[in-house]
Amino acid sequence: MASDKEVVLKAIADMLENGLKTEVEPFPETDKEFGDILLQLRRLDPKDLKGKLVVGGFVNHPYGPDNQRCLECMYYLVHRRWCDLPELAVPVEPEWWCRLWRI
Amino acid sequence: MANLLWLQGGACSGNTMSFLNAEEPSACDLVTDFGINVLWHPSLGMELGENLRKMLHALVSGAMPLDIFVFEGSVVNAPNGTGEWNRFAGRPMKDWVSDLAKVAGYTVAIGDCATWGGIPATAPNPSESEGLQFLKRKHGGFLGPTYKSKAGLPVINVPGCPAHPDWITQIVVAVATGRGGDLTLDEFQRPKTFFTSFTQTGCTRNMHFAYKVSATEYGQRKGCLFYDLGCRGPMTHSPCNRILWNRQSSKTRAGMPCMGCTEPEFPFFDLMPGTVFKTQTMMGVPKDMPLGVDKAGYIKLTAAAKAASPAWAEEDIFVV
Repeated sequence: MASDKEVVLKAIADMLENGLKTEVEPFPETDKEFGDILLQLRRLDPKDLKGKLVVGGFVNHPYGPDNQRCLECMYYLVHRRWCDLPELAVPVEPEWWCRLWRI
Repeated sequence: MANLLWLQGGACSGNTMSFLNAEEPSACDLVTDFGINVLWHPSLGMELGENLRKMLHALVSGAMPLDIFVFEGSVVNAPNGTGEWNRFAGRPMKDWVSDLAKVAGYTVAIGDCATWGGIPATAPNPSESEGLQFLKRKHGGFLGPTYKSKAGLPVINVPGCPAHPDWITQIVVAVATGRGGDLTLDEFQRPKTFFTSFTQTGCTRNMHFAYKVSATEYGQRKGCLFYDLGCRGPMTHSPCNRILWNRQSSKTRAGMPCMGCTEPEFPFFDLMPGTVFKTQTMMGVPKDMPLGVDKAGYIKLTAAAKAASPAWAEEDIFVV
């Protein structure tokens, strides 16, 4: 039987696979812009998975000229396959990316 | 017996509080074990009024030797270069500093305000503050770039906000016991014995730094504070994780980011909203890298470190 985390991970994967349009751009170039996105996320219901994906700008593949991936992101926990950014706190795959990517 | 005089300019007394908490050696040890004669100190000085003024004049005239002149706080020049905003014993403090520095065997600046100007000298610097021999990173300060005390050393800078108690008393003991000549200073005139290694040296979170696991909240018992919470440990010269505070901890060990208070630029980013305790980034990459690391190398290191990180790095490991 799949764990809750696996169920959520599959739900996210399905949404992205089915072409969910997320706010990939603009990438937050400054800390203020980054903070503004966090504020948007905090206003969401913590269970609003789709809202998190849209505001976070998730894609299910590497992104940008440097092929940035969740794998390199500071918030990514490798063994748990988890995004530890408190405002997101969702399971993710290492090859995904979102616009809150930081190293 | 070495005569020590401690004066205070534009200051919060934080370094005095730190000094009074010293343990190795303690403030009392300076007197009883090392023969230091504390002529006057803002919290310990016995002389008041005219007696204090007479003593200061005796020091300036050379009638009484001044072996160690310790200054805490910024040199206040406002308004309009007069120094009238900070008067002491009948005249602007800056005039006392100028006269006493000329006759001092050693001149020691304690804390950020005395060394670089500190918070008072942050723009727009209404008190026209500066450090004894630096204004932030710029060499010169109040006494000028060529100043040397009678012992032949420039101002010995012991920065910090505040400076650690033991940094203060150990430097004072070194110069009082004739070992001042053994001190080697870095480019900012900080004793190398304290300010060559980094705050990160000895940090208990170094494993999390290595495996690129971030702390995302203060006090968290896992994760490195550099990646998200603005910790300046990798680029700040201090022994805060070698010579522990209160003999048992440090900011980073307690889960709070280093603010880089021993560096001339402190406080960084001029305290703009949203910049304190937040790692400044550009396109997701830190603006300030660990000293000596370039961006390309940092990205490669991150990918390798994350891929190799062990499971325990993701758990709270500092469990009491």
